[in-house]
Amino acid sequence: MCGEKTAPQSVAKQVSGRGPELRPFLKVENVTKRFHQVVANDKLSFDVLPGEIHCLLGENGAGKSTIAECIYGIHHQEEGTIYINDKPVALSSPAEAISTGIGMVHQHFVLVESLSVLENIVIGTEAATPILDFKEAEASIRTICERFDVHIDLHAKIWQLPVGQQQWVEILKALFLKVRLLIMDEPTAVLTPQEVQRLFRIFREMTEDGMSVILISHKLDDVMRSDRVTVLRRGKNVGTVTTSNTSKSELTNMMIGREVELRVKRDAHEHSGPLLEIRGLRAKNDFGAEKLSGIDITVNRGEIVGIAGVAGNGQGELFETLMGVRKATDGTVILEGDNITNFSTHNIQKKGMGYIPDDRFSAGLIGDFDVQSNLILGAHKEPPFASKGILNFSKIKEFAQKSIDDFEIKTPSEAAICRTLSGGNAQKVIVAREFAQATKVVLANQPSRGLDVGVIEYMHERLLDKRRSEFGILMASEELDELFGICDRVLVMFKGKILGDFRSEDADIETIGLLMAGQKVSPTRKPV
Amino acid sequence: MSLTIEKRLAPSKKWMVLSILFALVGSAIASALLLRVTGADVGVAFAAFFDGAFGSSRAINKTLLRATPLILTGIAVTVAFRAKIWNIGAEGQLYAGAMASYWIYFIIGPDIGLFILPVLFLAGFAGGGLYGGLAGFLKSRFQVNEVLTTVMLNYVITYFMSYMLVSGPWRDPASYYAQTPRIDKSVWLPKIMSGNKLHIGFIIAVLCAIAVYIMLTRSSLGYEIRAVGHNTRTSMFKGINIGRTAILVMLISGGLAGLAGMIEVFGVSHRLSAEISHGYGFTGIIIAMLAILNPIAIIFVAILFGAFYVGGLTMQVATGVPSVITSAIEAIILLLFLSASTLTRFQITWKDKT
Repeated sequence: MCGEKTAPQSVAKQVSGRGPELRPFLKVENVTKRFHQVVANDKLSFDVLPGEIHCLLGENGAGKSTIAECIYGIHHQEEGTIYINDKPVALSSPAEAISTGIGMVHQHFVLVESLSVLENIVIGTEAATPILDFKEAEASIRTICERFDVHIDLHAKIWQLPVGQQQWVEILKALFLKVRLLIMDEPTAVLTPQEVQRLFRIFREMTEDGMSVILISHKLDDVMRSDRVTVLRRGKNVGTVTTSNTSKSELTNMMIGREVELRVKRDAHEHSGPLLEIRGLRAKNDFGAEKLSGIDITVNRGEIVGIAGVAGNGQGELFETLMGVRKATDGTVILEGDNITNFSTHNIQKKGMGYIPDDRFSAGLIGDFDVQSNLILGAHKEPPFASKGILNFSKIKEFAQKSIDDFEIKTPSEAAICRTLSGGNAQKVIVAREFAQATKVVLANQPSRGLDVGVIEYMHERLLDKRRSEFGILMASEELDELFGICDRVLVMFKGKILGDFRSEDADIETIGLLMAGQKVSPTRKPV
Repeated sequence: MSLTIEKRLAPSKKWMVLSILFALVGSAIASALLLRVTGADVGVAFAAFFDGAFGSSRAINKTLLRATPLILTGIAVTVAFRAKIWNIGAEGQLYAGAMASYWIYFIIGPDIGLFILPVLFLAGFAGGGLYGGLAGFLKSRFQVNEVLTTVMLNYVITYFMSYMLVSGPWRDPASYYAQTPRIDKSVWLPKIMSGNKLHIGFIIAVLCAIAVYIMLTRSSLGYEIRAVGHNTRTSMFKGINIGRTAILVMLISGGLAGLAGMIEVFGVSHRLSAEISHGYGFTGIIIAMLAILNPIAIIFVAILFGAFYVGGLTMQVATGVPSVITSAIEAIILLLFLSASTLTRFQITWKDKT
């Protein structure tokens, strides 16, 4: 890192001390946004100065994404005003937001997979002529890449890029549009620790130019690199603090209103023999490229095995193959001595395997179904939920109400449409369902992605409960703290291979971080 | 001020009713204007329209008779559309059902009288079902787009039937037209009331609509169909066999359309010819969309369409407006209904730009 460029103090000083001369670029004043009876933002106010990294921190459902989407013109607040450069604005679409100088990178990227990086950057722009000038665009994008030290093949198709690289495409898009304010929703979820460092270096370059960044994040490590933090709780601003004057524990306290121990304690538990054995497993992705190149993993009864690795290194394909959604081209999967390789998904679930997917609304839930219907998905043909092909609604409702109570799912009722739930509560619906259906093994892909500390802890407790009842658990995560916290063993996955196998007690974050980047431990080399 | 359109979280019941009212009033005004332009007396025309569609028990009977195949094709495409399988082949499946039932009649003959009816119903359902199921099989086995196959299969069955009726064994040797001989009176679908043409096919169609409603909302199968329709990927991850569901859906969808064909042959035309369907398979798509894929609502929308046709005919006779005017009015009504129905799914708000 270059010393002179990482100087958050400059802005921070002005914030705390000589504030008045710096007019905020963005001012949010008493904004209230409701979704039916649910208040997502409640008289929310904060401002963002030119040249600052401003972090929005809060639990799931605290209204962070909602306020960001109001600023970006996706939603429209019922009350309150948003000012840009002291002028009130009412943005009715992202296109208008972009023309006002606001860009946003969503948690789930909105890129066209089959188009190239260059095309993806250019298609969003409003061209003066109907013919897009790719030559000129390419030249100016190259200048941006050099300026910010981003290395990316502009002619590669999006699907060929790892997820971490796709994020750069989104950021380049915003830079190409010359935005003055960039909103980043959970940007570090898909990056290695080394890539996170680079991302912040780029943020600093941007703020040097007077641009502002709004960072939505749950990771306290990220938050601590910002200039100021606004903490949201139930749609309200609990407080805006200067980062250099606060601490992780103070922020956590503000965020959830109580002191928490960040790590769930993993008690000693002796596992008892192999339960799930994966031997030499190979599989291809939808484009025919091999994504699993001979995976060997053993999960024992009463053991949690973690897979560390940046998303996109085959974790998704591994779980899909284990669940029978993807065909294994080679290798075997053995559950309690039975070979279940390439069984149908239905039969694999009957054997006692449950799966918590990483993409809640595209693989885990049916957004347009109500909560109760989602809770019985997969068990909808069997008693008590159905007999002779007819659904038993009173039994379904009873089960749903019990699940909602047990898992503390915040929903107006069991008949609420699932799509309207916040990310954390949607995840709880999946967890409740899979825990009810699985009898032996629970697979989980990035189970805590996008969730707040409270829900993550809750889920960890539940996973440990399952471990105590002799389940085998295999989970992939990018959160090393999470893996070290609850896993008995941690493996590292890189490009379809398992690179390391550590007992959690023996592993160190630095080594695993390097393995995640595909490097054999050689700290002298400059990180990617 | 600016106009913004936002998607509603759930379709609004209030606006569903209001939009129907808007569309009705709007189409009345538009039709009146159109009639005025052609020089017809609007009052007389409207009176004739209502009289023709609902004015007497005979008129109501005619309306319901016309609605019968539309109810069946409407629910047929609904079953498929709920699974997001775009069956555009109800027309072909209707003919497949008509042909299958006629074939069985051709083999067994009229000797056993009405006892043949259950077999004929089954044959109609099976004929349409297998024909639709073929498209479902191609979709699940070879990922062939069902829009293509179902549309193409419409042509295949029409030409196959032409062959059977023109130079094939089914042709009525005594007739100049390409049609089969008249079916023996003993196997015509029984009338609901003597003196009227309305037959038990109407009751069967209504029962089918209710059955499909129950199937979709209360059964495991219907749950799976809706699950696949809303989110195929999640359904796959939860062990629902997508291919099997596609085939099953197309069997049921085609079967219901086939039933419509059988009912038209044995209840209305009493012979098989290329004229048994007046585009019922395609009108069924419009009806299903207007009824927001609700089988119970389809019964009423289909009756409304029956009324348009029957009332329109009377209006033509009474006022002498050209027949294309009634088609134009029908189209106006459709467009207004479809545009008004967006109000149930979207909300439009005026916003102050300060």
